[in-house]
Amino acid sequence: MSLRRLRLIMWKELLQLRRDRLLLPLIFLMPIMYVIMFGYVVGSDVRNLPTAVIDGDRTATSQRLTDAFSSSGYFVITQRPASEAALRGLIDSGRVNVAIIIERGTEAALARGETVPLGVIVDGADSKTASVASGYAAEIVAAFDRGLLEKAGRAVGGPVIDARVRVMFNPSLKSVNAMVPGLVCSILMLSIMVIMSQAVVRERARGTLEQMMVTPITRAEYLTGKVLPYVGIATIQMTFIVLIGRYWFGVPFNGSVWTVALGLILFTLTSVGMGLLISLVSRTQQQAQQTVMFVMIPTMVLSGFIFPIESMPAAIVPLTYLIPLRYALVVLRSAFLKGSGVADLWAPLTAMVVFAVGIFGLAVSRFQKRLSE
Amino acid sequence: MRAAAKRVMAIARKEFIHITRDWRMIVAVLVLPLLQLLLFAYAISFDVRNVPSVTLDLDKTAASRSYLDSYSKSGFFAVHGSVSDFAGIDGAFNRSEARVAIVVQRGFGDALAAGGTGSVSVLIDGSEPNSAQLGQTYAVALNQSLGRRALASWAEARGLGNLHVGTIEPRVQAWYNPERRSADFLIPGLMIVIIMIVTVQQTAVTLVKERENGTLEQLLESPLTHSELIVGKILPWALLGVVDTVLITAVSMGVFGIPLRGDVAVLAVGIGLFIVCALSLGLVISAVAPSLESANIAALLVSFLPGFMLSGMAFPLASIPMALQVVSYLFPARYMVEIARGVFLRGSSWGVLAPQVLSLAAYAFIALGIATVLNRRRRA
Repeated sequence: MSLRRLRLIMWKELLQLRRDRLLLPLIFLMPIMYVIMFGYVVGSDVRNLPTAVIDGDRTATSQRLTDAFSSSGYFVITQRPASEAALRGLIDSGRVNVAIIIERGTEAALARGETVPLGVIVDGADSKTASVASGYAAEIVAAFDRGLLEKAGRAVGGPVIDARVRVMFNPSLKSVNAMVPGLVCSILMLSIMVIMSQAVVRERARGTLEQMMVTPITRAEYLTGKVLPYVGIATIQMTFIVLIGRYWFGVPFNGSVWTVALGLILFTLTSVGMGLLISLVSRTQQQAQQTVMFVMIPTMVLSGFIFPIESMPAAIVPLTYLIPLRYALVVLRSAFLKGSGVADLWAPLTAMVVFAVGIFGLAVSRFQKRLSE
Repeated sequence: MRAAAKRVMAIARKEFIHITRDWRMIVAVLVLPLLQLLLFAYAISFDVRNVPSVTLDLDKTAASRSYLDSYSKSGFFAVHGSVSDFAGIDGAFNRSEARVAIVVQRGFGDALAAGGTGSVSVLIDGSEPNSAQLGQTYAVALNQSLGRRALASWAEARGLGNLHVGTIEPRVQAWYNPERRSADFLIPGLMIVIIMIVTVQQTAVTLVKERENGTLEQLLESPLTHSELIVGKILPWALLGVVDTVLITAVSMGVFGIPLRGDVAVLAVGIGLFIVCALSLGLVISAVAPSLESANIAALLVSFLPGFMLSGMAFPLASIPMALQVVSYLFPARYMVEIARGVFLRGSSWGVLAPQVLSLAAYAFIALGIATVLNRRRRA
């Protein structure tokens, strides 16, 4: 392999990138847009939900219950309609997302030792808000009940379970902390797959591939020279993401750089392999784009990047094992947030080695064959 | 006028032949959206279940065993096994084998029997915040009901009779979607995103391709005007967009049982306008992009990201920063998702959705205008 020829191919590739005046800005805008949107939109934690309270009881207890909701930080009581009839309009127009209904006689029933229902109405047309709001409501009521129970238990000298629920590694539960390691992997994959497959297909579609093959350039040189510039671009993009994540969103980094690097190298090989495979099965640039979308969408959905794998139905879960991004996510998230080392992560790393060797190997051998034809 | 119509139809027919010549294109336009719908509808949800958990029983009494049992029975925590010390928990977390660890402290059983305080800790791995958040909520609620049970059985054992402690119990009702099915919530939004991806991606490259092949010059020589070319280019894709919408709606209602409660006319008008908006966005890219690559990447950026993130399809937009709110109004998906959700789930009609429909109409008009002007400038 001649380094000079290799350098020349890479130089040609970069010149071509620079000639398209929209392409380079897009390539560098992409990771920034991704971090900002994922960080703010997916990572936005649902808080300060506008809430209506209908207090039919109007007692000290109902007041304490209302206070428990408003002091939690999750609910902001903006409306106090007199009856349930007014609720429909409020929820329809989106002026409130949640309504809490305290029935008349709540305090009296509590004193009699009964279990009293508390109406919590959420707008089910907005699933994430609904699920989060009902969770918060349950948590607040549970804390309220625990107070009542402890008082009753202490009064008769009964037992109490003292449960300390503690979140580790990401105690503030900020979604963006889990998002940034995930974004690093998905940008790497997206960028290598999209930009590289386009570049390779273009060469074939325009017939410049044949011209290239009549020069003294060997196939290995051609392949390496074609791949390296895009790996370089992806590396710059990942650096952008990590820097924005670290210094703008304050994402912690607790792990070892080597574990992260190992994971990223393996995943880069897999992505390059997939990009090459895509360029092999596509004849036009548009087809390559379609194929990328075809691969990217299931990858995004099934990897656990946005939607937790625990929330998927049991029939879907086996499919997630076929997605390389799934393992890369485990490795990067664990390394970033928990400081897991190579020894802890041997299982996902092994899977990544299998993917990297399999996909990259297949792609390179098929590509070589294609070139020699 | 008739001549103009004939020219528009000629362009539309030419475009249509381009589409049908490539079978992959047909698959991409008609089959892929349905596959995406199925995948999304089955896989996406925020209803976390079966969170992998481990237990650490330092007490080893009947009380601690029954306490831990109730976690396995909860349906939320999937208890995979128990570890013998805290190092075991660290290992399980580091290897990502468990997200939750439940520790019963020594003396738990004795304390409960004696009417004291039994200590437990629930440790949650926060590196997957969605699951962790819900895990926290469930753990708190579960412990509350367990504490109540412990108190009741203690009272019974002491012969205090049935000790009644009044507690509050939340009864959550989700309006418009009482079973809280994620599919009901997601599918109307998904429909919009899928249509957006298909249409923007396809039109973004049409003019670039003509330019790269040199056929745009030939078209220029013909009596065709700029707006005729644009309309002719858009027509077949608009038609395919409508076909996609009908297909997706049929599958959503037939397979997933999504209700259609509102006025179909609002939905039809909305979708029609939305498709024009999306196609115009594609044409704007087509006019600006110097090459197929940049057109493809720009289309990906414009359709995929805002469609997913800024449409309100899966993520509530109320809590995002102001600047992004403004950006979200710059993409048509946000209006259309509101219309689709309103018509499908809330049974809304013109009265409620008029602002969204009008916004889309204005958007379509402006976007189409910008696309035409940009193309004219580009050609001049």
